[in-house]
Amino acid sequence: MNYASGLDTVQSVDWRLLAPVLGPVVAVAAILVLDAIGPERPGFRRLHDVLAVLGLVGAGAGVLLLVADGTTASTLCVPGGGLELPSCSYLVSPLTLTLQGLVIAGALVCLLLAVDGRAAIDRAPHHVLMLVAVTGALSLAGARDLITIVVAFETASLPAIALVALRRDAPGAQGAFTLLLTAVGSLGLLLMGMALLVLSTGSVHLDRIVAALATDPNLPQLSGPVRAVAALGAVLILAGVGFKMSAVPFHLWTPDTYAGAPLPIAAFLSVVSKTAGLAALVVLLPVGLPGLAGVWAPVIGVVAALTVTFGNLVAMRQTVAVRLLAWSTVAQAGWVLLPLSAARPGTPSAVRAATAASVGYLVAYAAASLAAFSVVVIVGRRHPAAEEHSIEAYRGLARREPVASAVLAFALACLAGLPPGIVGLMAKVVVFRPIVGATSWWLAGIAAVNVVFGLVYYVRWGALLFSPASGRALTWRVSVGEGLALGASGAACVALSVWPQAVAGLLPTVLR
Amino acid sequence: MSGIADAIENVTGAWILPIMVGLPLIVAVVLVIARRLSDDVATLVAASTATVTFVLAILASIAAGPYRDGEMVLELDRSWVPALGVGFHFGMDGVSAPLVLLTGLLGVLVCVHSVRVRPASGRARLLVACYLAVVGGALATFTVMDAVLFFIAFELVLVPMWFAIAFWGDDTQPDAPGRPGGEVARRDAANRFILFTAIGSALMLVGLLYVALQTGTTDLGKLADLAGEGLSHDVQVIAACFIVVGLSVKAPAFGVHTWLPPAHTIAPTGGSVLLAGVLLKMGTYGLVRVAVPILPDGFRTVAPFLALFAVLGIVWAGLACFVERDLKRLIALSSVAHMGFVLLGIASMTPQGLQGALFANIAHGLITGLLFLTVGSLKDRHHTADLALIGAGLRDRVPRLGWLLAFGAVAGLGLPGLAGFWGELLAIVGTWQSTGASSSLGTAGRPFAVVAVVGTVIAAVYLLRVLRLVWHGAAADAPQRVVPDATRHEVMVAAPLVVATVALGLLPWLLLDLTGPAVRVLLIVSGGNQ
Repeated sequence: MNYASGLDTVQSVDWRLLAPVLGPVVAVAAILVLDAIGPERPGFRRLHDVLAVLGLVGAGAGVLLLVADGTTASTLCVPGGGLELPSCSYLVSPLTLTLQGLVIAGALVCLLLAVDGRAAIDRAPHHVLMLVAVTGALSLAGARDLITIVVAFETASLPAIALVALRRDAPGAQGAFTLLLTAVGSLGLLLMGMALLVLSTGSVHLDRIVAALATDPNLPQLSGPVRAVAALGAVLILAGVGFKMSAVPFHLWTPDTYAGAPLPIAAFLSVVSKTAGLAALVVLLPVGLPGLAGVWAPVIGVVAALTVTFGNLVAMRQTVAVRLLAWSTVAQAGWVLLPLSAARPGTPSAVRAATAASVGYLVAYAAASLAAFSVVVIVGRRHPAAEEHSIEAYRGLARREPVASAVLAFALACLAGLPPGIVGLMAKVVVFRPIVGATSWWLAGIAAVNVVFGLVYYVRWGALLFSPASGRALTWRVSVGEGLALGASGAACVALSVWPQAVAGLLPTVLR
Repeated sequence: MSGIADAIENVTGAWILPIMVGLPLIVAVVLVIARRLSDDVATLVAASTATVTFVLAILASIAAGPYRDGEMVLELDRSWVPALGVGFHFGMDGVSAPLVLLTGLLGVLVCVHSVRVRPASGRARLLVACYLAVVGGALATFTVMDAVLFFIAFELVLVPMWFAIAFWGDDTQPDAPGRPGGEVARRDAANRFILFTAIGSALMLVGLLYVALQTGTTDLGKLADLAGEGLSHDVQVIAACFIVVGLSVKAPAFGVHTWLPPAHTIAPTGGSVLLAGVLLKMGTYGLVRVAVPILPDGFRTVAPFLALFAVLGIVWAGLACFVERDLKRLIALSSVAHMGFVLLGIASMTPQGLQGALFANIAHGLITGLLFLTVGSLKDRHHTADLALIGAGLRDRVPRLGWLLAFGAVAGLGLPGLAGFWGELLAIVGTWQSTGASSSLGTAGRPFAVVAVVGTVIAAVYLLRVLRLVWHGAAADAPQRVVPDATRHEVMVAAPLVVATVALGLLPWLLLDLTGPAVRVLLIVSGGNQ
């Protein structure tokens, strides 16, 4: 195998390119040291928070520097045998940086929400687990060989399971267990799919897999049966990473786990984990297996259609806020997946456009979802029913908490795709474009119907905010972390609505 | 006149249209935020905002004159989302100007109306904010010249109108036996409204995107100049199917109209006026602005089906009006019939038909606006709109309201000399002429025209039935004899609509001269049958 030739050479490492991944790692080390020195001192609690935030901010700064550089560069390379170019395990491209930026911003908001919650009573484990999961998600965005991808994927998944269990009650344990079972089962599928890919193409590096499966008639072609093995691998990979995005039929963990997890962790699962899931999917399929798009794109189409429809239909019947959000994230995952079904083999521009639409929708969704979760966290901490509060708790909230209500109303409008949530509307336009371009009318029809399904529950919830309510008008004292999270995510929704180019104009260059 | 136009152009440039659209939207947001504002002040603020908006609309239509060439004027084009090719493109021509004026006028009337006539459930501040947002969204729909922006503007009115229906709608319906409150009925009506229209606009979006991807532009002006060039027949038919079906929901055409009767009936008076007068026009305007010029071949293929559903709507709604007991619902149903004439005129793809459609659009807005205002006043006084419970003798009991109702009904049945006459006449003439191999309706044109004529007769019968039941008769037979007549305020609100109905009835060329050149341009570029 080609890979063997790389083992006897020392890999050169460009630390600058890895800066975004290293930021959280450094913070983890610092927090563990601090915890070892003196976990009992009260002043250390804030120091833990500061270190975790600094780790994420450092990673964000690394991303910004690389964006300012504007170059596409790779590191951790092995030289190719003969005439081949070296193959690299880590690549910094617009795709990498976009996904990393999204992960970092989402993780920051979740961290800010978490610091005042019950789950973060034990600062060190909570922050370490979260930062490690973030590290996994960040490296996943840059990983370009199968081994790095699978390690990064598990680094992103396993700490998230422990985070769910941090609530330390029966529902938390059940949620974590459900997620653990799904993750382990999915890992099996993922590894099987990757094994088939390595078997059929003889390489673990994505660039070599791309070349092996290219449909260019000038290059040597794989034989039909070998191609079929690779195609089976692609489908298994799709099944293996589908759970991370809560795609039907791997979504079943979502409602139980969201309801069992501390609310900020549910937000983390809905944004950071989903981004990691999409990163894995995009890196493996559109980037790694564009030649097999004829196989995986229709499968994604079916999965996306089922996911968006099923998620919406069940969400309509939910009354508990966090369960409604859980099912709504299932539906939204379907929206994220829909454009990928428009990828076609042999047309890199179509694959690129489909991926850009997918990532663009995810950006819009992440902003709106974080804003909605911020308000749910704030309400959950002050409502007698705590994290299991029903959406009836929001009746008349506009009178009591005008700012939080405005943010929630705007976020719901964005999720529903209704003005004034222009970014949600534009995101729907972005999703429809590749589908219509590929003339998949059945998918376009299903998507159009689902626009309406979604409205039912988002509007119902939004209307409650403005319904007249009886009872005392209490003003809440919102903590700094909550306030920052609420303000930042709300501002992001508004900013993206004014400037939807940020959602519509992603990944303008070659997809790598 | 040209002096004024130049002066306006010099002061505002082409920004007058975005300002006109933005002003009511911004004030609506301010009214929602300003929680300390009393309802008295809020309604006055809304009324003055609507008035300023209307003045801007008048100034814009003057500046856009004289509409001789049918060209787009007052254009403003700024890039917004370059990745999608979407621009802030505003413009106005003879097709949009009358609708902009109608929207501006109805906006003033509903806001002024709420200065004195307050909703029973209170919170008039938020209600007028909803009205202003609807007006802003409708003005945006009539002035944007970009397909994606058009879609956004189309959606803009959904949320405020949903709130108007769900929160301030009819509270007389029973929620459960013996438990009035109307919450269930209001929610049902509001949800039906938003769900139907949203799926309509989603389908329209699919069609628009298909056209945009095939031609590489979302600019409605450029697309109209292309007039289907470079789009194969199949592409045009597919796109036209999506767009026409999507817009028919809003118009509404028969079959997808079922959201309309509950929404119009349950909505508060101002909401009904805006729904009938403004929102329905967005659907027909979209057909004239998007489907006819951009997809001439495709629309020609789809037109017979559209015309079929239009005449079905005319006849079915007319027959339903025969037996309808609720006066407000009856007027809502008659809207389906009236909009059927508009759809029929558009489907004919003849200059007469299109002119008639645009004329009937405006006439329907004026007349139905008047009827909803009057019936709203009657309903407020009788706490019901049931014809039997309102009872006979309105002419004697409440002469002013009675005469307003009679005037509206007579105008609605298309009496010559009033606005309702010309639009439907021209639509029928256009349909009659749309016959032969090269026409859009072919052999079906003349039968459709005949059925439409029957529809006008039905309209006369059901409106005369209404007058016989409640206008005529002895006041002594009425169950509620003593109700106050229209206040001076209510008469003042209704008066502009009466004046405009008479003016357009006697001087139809005021409007026909405006739309004529634009219609010719639309049909010439689309190669329609002359």
